[in-house]
Parts: sequence; C-alpha cells; structure tokens
Amino acid sequence: MTAAIEVDGLRKSFRSRAVTVEAVRGITFAVPGGTVFGLLGPNGAGKTTTLRMLTTLLPIDGGTATVAGVDVARQPATVRQRIGYVSQAGGADDLATGRENLRLQGALYGAARGQLEGRVAELVERLDLSPFADRRVRTYSGGQRRRLDVALGLVHRPQVLFLDEPTTGLDPQNRAHLWEHVRSLADDGTTVVLTTHYLEEADALCDQVVIVDHGQVVAEGTPEALKREVVGESLSLTVRDPGRLDDALGAVQAVDGVLDGTIDGAEVRLRVGDGSAVLPAVLGMLQARGVDVESVNLARPSLDDVFLARTGRSLRDAGGPRAEVAGE
Amino acid sequence: MKLTRDVGLLFWRSELQLLRNPVWLLVGASTPLLYLALFTPLLGELPGLHGRGTGAVLDEFLPGILSLLAFSSGAGPGFNVIFELQSGVIERFRVTPTSRLALLAGPILASMVAMFVFDAILVAVGIAFGFHAHPAGMAVLAVLAGLLMAMVAAFSMATALTTKEISGFAAVINGLNLPVLLLAGVLLPIALGPSWIRALAHVDPLYYLVVASRSLATGGLASSATWEAFAVLVPLCGLTLAWATRVYRRAVA
Ligand SMILES: Nc1ncnc2c1ncn2[C@@H]1O[C@H](COP(=O)(O)OP(=O)(O)OP(=O)(O)O)[C@@H](O)[C@H]1O
Ligand SMILES: [Mg+2]
Repeated sequence: MTAAIEVDGLRKSFRSRAVTVEAVRGITFAVPGGTVFGLLGPNGAGKTTTLRMLTTLLPIDGGTATVAGVDVARQPATVRQRIGYVSQAGGADDLATGRENLRLQGALYGAARGQLEGRVAELVERLDLSPFADRRVRTYSGGQRRRLDVALGLVHRPQVLFLDEPTTGLDPQNRAHLWEHVRSLADDGTTVVLTTHYLEEADALCDQVVIVDHGQVVAEGTPEALKREVVGESLSLTVRDPGRLDDALGAVQAVDGVLDGTIDGAEVRLRVGDGSAVLPAVLGMLQARGVDVESVNLARPSLDDVFLARTGRSLRDAGGPRAEVAGE
Repeated sequence: MKLTRDVGLLFWRSELQLLRNPVWLLVGASTPLLYLALFTPLLGELPGLHGRGTGAVLDEFLPGILSLLAFSSGAGPGFNVIFELQSGVIERFRVTPTSRLALLAGPILASMVAMFVFDAILVAVGIAFGFHAHPAGMAVLAVLAGLLMAMVAAFSMATALTTKEISGFAAVINGLNLPVLLLAGVLLPIALGPSWIRALAHVDPLYYLVVASRSLATGGLASSATWEAFAVLVPLCGLTLAWATRVYRRAVA
C-alpha cells in the first residue's frame, strides 16, 4: 500500500522574546493508506505541533511532509481539500446547534445543498448525536461536544483524518464507540492519524504508533512489535518447594525465547520474547525436571514500558494528570 | 462564485450569532440612545445652540453619534476573533478550503448590517424628538459609515489575529480609541482646539467621516467634505482590507 503520509525530518521552533522552544526536532515517519496511526507522548512532546504542520496551520521550519500525495508546504490549498482535522480545542460554534454546525462545515467544503442534509443526518446517526443535535452546543457535556467535533472533521469524507486527542473527556462506553467508528473509517480506506494519552487506546486502536518525547521520535512500530522488541514480556512463577527455585531457574533458562531470568524473593522472574509461545515450553521443562509449579503470572508489557525503556521516565509521570487517567 | 458563496455562509453564521446574543443586542441598541439621552441636554446649553430647541441640537449632534457608532462597531469582530482563536473555531475554518477573504468579510458584513439597524433605531428616535433627516444625505452617510466600519473591523480582526491574546489586542484598540475619538471631534468640536490639534485631526480617518456627516445630515450632498471623505476612506478601506486578507492568508495561530 502506498504511504498516505510521509514526514521527513520535520522541525518547528517557536521564538518568543528571549526563549526559543524547539517543539519538533526532526520527526520522520510514514503512514500507509487506510490505517490508524498513533502519535503518543507526554504533554508538550510536540504532538499537536506536528499535526498543525501537517494540516497547513503552521509553517514548516525544516524537513518535508506529504499528505495524501501532496506536498504540504507547496500546495496547502490542495491538502486542505483532502484532509479533515479535529483540533484539541474542538472549535464548534457555541451559539449554533450541532446540526447547524455540521451543515455549515459541509457547505464550506462545497457540499451541494441536496446532499448536505443526508450527510448531516448520517453523521448524527453514526456518532450518536441525535439526542442533542438540535440543541445549542453551549449546553453540551464535554463528551457530547467531542463527538460533534469528530463529526465536523468527517463531513466531507476526507482521505486523511487528523484527530488531536479525540477521546479525551469521553466515558468508556463512548470511547469504545468512537474506536469502533475510527476502525470502520480505516476499513473503508480513510487514513487516520490520532494523538492520545491513553496507552490502551494506542494499543487497541492503532496499527502503528510513534512515541514522541521532546520533539523527537523515541520509538516506532506496531504496538505489538514495540512491546516485544523493546522489553519483551515478564513471566514470573512460584514453585511449591522454595528449595528448588535455583533448579527451576537453571532449567527454564535453557528454553528457547527466554531472554534472561532472576530470582526475586520467592519468585522466578523471566524476561521472555512472546509469552504465550514460551509459556507452554517453560511449564513442560519444569514438569520434566519434576518441579511443581504453584502459580504463573504473565505480564504483558504496556507502551509505558516502552517509553520507560527508551527515556528512563514513565509516560505516566511525564504525562501529568491526564496521563494518569490513562493508566487506570 | 466560491468567494460569494463562502461570504454568504459566514455572513449568516455571524448574523445568527449576533441575534442569539441578547446581551450584546441590548447593549448595542441602547448605547447610542444613551449617548443621545445624556448628551443632548448638555449640548443644549452650548452658546450657539442655546434656546434653539432639541431639534437643532440633534441636527448638530446625531450625525456625530452615527460616526461614533461606525467606529465602535468595528471593534466587535476583533474581540470575537480573540474568542474564536481560543475556542478553536478559527483553526477549524482555516483547515477548510474556505476563502480567506470570506473569513474576514462574513463577520464584517454581519456587524455592518447590525450597525445599520442600530443606526435606523437611532435616527427614528431622533426624528421623534425633532431631528431633521434628509433621506439622500443619510443614504450617502450610510455608505461612508459602512466604509469606515469595514476598515476598522478589518484592522481589528487582523490585529486580533496577530496579537492572539486579549491583553495585547485590548491594549492596541484602547490605545487608539481615545486619540481617534478626540481628534475626530465627535463629542467635542475640534474647532475649539489649538491649530496643531486641528492639523493633527487630518491623519484621523474618523475626522473626515464626522465632518462629512454634519453636512450630509443637513442635506449638503455635494459638499467638499463629502468628496474628501470618499477620497480618504475608499483607498484606506481598500488598503486595510488587503492587508488584513494578507494577515489571514499567512499561517498564523
Ligand atoms: N504557539 C506556540 N508558541 C510557543 N510555544 C509553543 C506554541 N505551541 C506549542 N508550543 C510549545 O511547543 C511544545 C510542544 O507543544 P505541543 O502542543 O505540540 O505538545 P503536545 O504534545 O500536543 O502536548 P499535549 O499532550 O499537552 O497536548 C510545548 O513545549 C509548547 O509549550
Ligand atoms: Mg496537544
């Protein structure tokens, strides 16, 4: 599949009086068409700045970016025709109703009057806006507003959709609902780029992620591969006879896929590549040696472990209060 | 084609927003009336006007209020830009292929229509109290007031977009407000001032509107003041709109 987005060495700094903030310091990535791509990183990492460059809102200081086959710096007007953008702030009109907002947005994209009403009704339906679509936006709850924001970005069926923290403020049910919607958009061929603080979101929704910190990419790949390559999984087990811990460790270290192991208190702790593949072999080996296993715990690593491994900090700590919510 | 369609869409959007903001409507309509109610009795005591009745005072004073209204109506769209920058509305529009000139023209035209409505209320109330309105003169005055209003609004919107924050924006607008109003002689006749003030008044666009408004309101259509006002306001308005559109085109947060 051809790349819907190609970003090469993207840079941006903000100068204000004496200070210069290097918000984005040479970011490179490519997004295949029809996939969901996640930009993950703590507050201030440069996610929004990156999206704003890709959506023609900010001049690019250095590097190049191609979106939907068009150079962003050279042909911003063409790029605008092909993309949708839902900013972190949203940007619906407070004094208008949801439906009025959608109508205006569609009309600004040049939709013909006849088609507009149907499209608006379709979006109201698909994003579950109907209970409040004819109320003024000012009266919406945070989550209702967010769903309208997303609908606004979809009105013109963009080839590439940029979502800056689309699920912030949504309850679990609506978040799951939006994930489904994003997934189905990608299945229909739309390329989706989203930023998020929610690790499970990136994990569950994104085909690929880049983890950004201080304006640089610290890791990239599929969530699965990232978690495997960077840290592996952690397998801990206890045995019935604590005297045989050493035996157990010696035995399982010979198993293929076990990267290393230690004895931690009354447990054997192993780092393994792919836990579900290694586990049967480990248990088989122990049984063959006559070691009775009491309990096994396989901890899947999270993207937080990836961030920790690459930066020495936890994404949750670096990310502040909002990222803590993500940890629940 | 695309431009007129976009202007139309954004014009209606702004107009609806104005109509749905009752506080703004109330203040907008009552402020000029308040000026009238408070200043007319004061001016009636001026030597030249003393004893000539409310009608004569209104003939002298009401055109100035209309000019003042044209100037102050222009600041509104700028304040709105500041608000919309924060709420993300501007970014949402900027990502669409909407014509940049329409982003500017829609709100300006909407505020201009609102201004004309307030003008009409003011004139109607004035007539009830003896103001002598000359229809043709008032029509030409409306054109001039529209030009000035559009210029001030384009300036305030572009300034809002560059300063981005209410503090910087308010500083610029308030800083200009006082000298522009004083030099124009809206509330106090500039003729009372020393010659250097009278000379300085000629760099104030509002001054030309105020001078023209006095002769137009009394039916003096072809006075030199009218020509001068057009000669100053047409190019200035054009230049300001061109500059503001450039600011809108350039990528700004
Ligand atoms: N207009 C601006 N002027 C000056 N500095 C800016 C501007 N916009 C962003 N920055 C700075 O650039 C850095 C990156 O900001 P950005 O908004 O891209 O972060 P982010 O990853 O989106 O964070 P968050 O998760 O909080 O949304 C921050 O240090 C921010 O303060
Ligand atoms: Mg952000």
